[in-house]
Amino acid sequence: MNDEPPVPTTDAGVSPVADFTTFMRNYQDMVFSTAARLTGNDAQAEDISQEVFLKAYENYSHLSTSPTAGGWLKTVATNLSLNHLSRYRNRWRFFSEFKRDDAGDDREAPEVEFAAPDTFFSGVDASERRELLERALDQLPEHQRVPLVLYHFEDLPYDEIARRLGVSLAKVKTDILRARAALARILVRSGTGHEQIQP
Amino acid sequence: MNPHEEQNLERLVHQTLRTLPPRRAPRSLEQRVLAAIEQRAALPWWRKGFAYWPAAPRIAFLAVAVAVVAGFFRLLTGVEAGALFAGLLPQLAWADTVASLAHATQDFVRVVVGGIPPLWLYGGLTVVASLYAALFGLGATAYRLLYANR
Repeated sequence: MNDEPPVPTTDAGVSPVADFTTFMRNYQDMVFSTAARLTGNDAQAEDISQEVFLKAYENYSHLSTSPTAGGWLKTVATNLSLNHLSRYRNRWRFFSEFKRDDAGDDREAPEVEFAAPDTFFSGVDASERRELLERALDQLPEHQRVPLVLYHFEDLPYDEIARRLGVSLAKVKTDILRARAALARILVRSGTGHEQIQP
Repeated sequence: MNPHEEQNLERLVHQTLRTLPPRRAPRSLEQRVLAAIEQRAALPWWRKGFAYWPAAPRIAFLAVAVAVVAGFFRLLTGVEAGALFAGLLPQLAWADTVASLAHATQDFVRVVVGGIPPLWLYGGLTVVASLYAALFGLGATAYRLLYANR
């Protein structure tokens, strides 16, 4: 959901790609970002990105001239990441914890009162800001990070997120609200924000 | 948090996250993808998906599949296997042999299973299921004790 386009574009759409390698170079950062922010794990994100580009290669005759290739890749990366998270959760839930991840510990978590500042960052350069944000996202628990990423980066509405994750609409809204508060708290604690959170 | 504060927080988080540029993909990704493409291209046709098969094997496979389905359908509708094979493949003598062998194997299994008292049979199945469950439980316990709590 970046305002910045993921690849260089022209008025007519995506710049023409000479071959698949160039095509991949144009989109690999966007695909990897999507997978990494959803899974919170770079190694898994690289595996997923590889799978996405192998699927793209199978459909390259169509994608090479399609102005919506970026959207196709992003959708496939999102779907594969969610499938991966779901499969991984199901596989290890029995062995590690019997309680559901999405049950979480939210019931015990205190409500967060937060007066939003004008900005989280002051006197911080772009690279440091990026690093702080990525680290803050990684610190969120999975059941908060995934819906937050789907909402703010992928532009999915609440009901679609609930359907994709197989949880209730109310839970999605609560998780996203708490994720925003947790993210804000992490950023403020990192010393970049103007105001403090009162738990 | 009141609705106004929630909206402010949403706006702020949204603005902040939207300024985040894409993360740089690892340098190894491109090489991995190209190597996987080469590896796939080197596979023989029969190890690829049906869509990648040459025309002749695809037609042959479809013909065999249709013949098998038709054969089972005729068997189910009361035509004897011997008659079916004799009608379909008169030149192939081995087809009769295969059919006879299948019948003999089927009769043998039926006699052996029929000779085992039902109590032994069900008891044996129960023991196998119990051992499987015990092994699964031991594995889960070992994982949780030795690995998950580390």
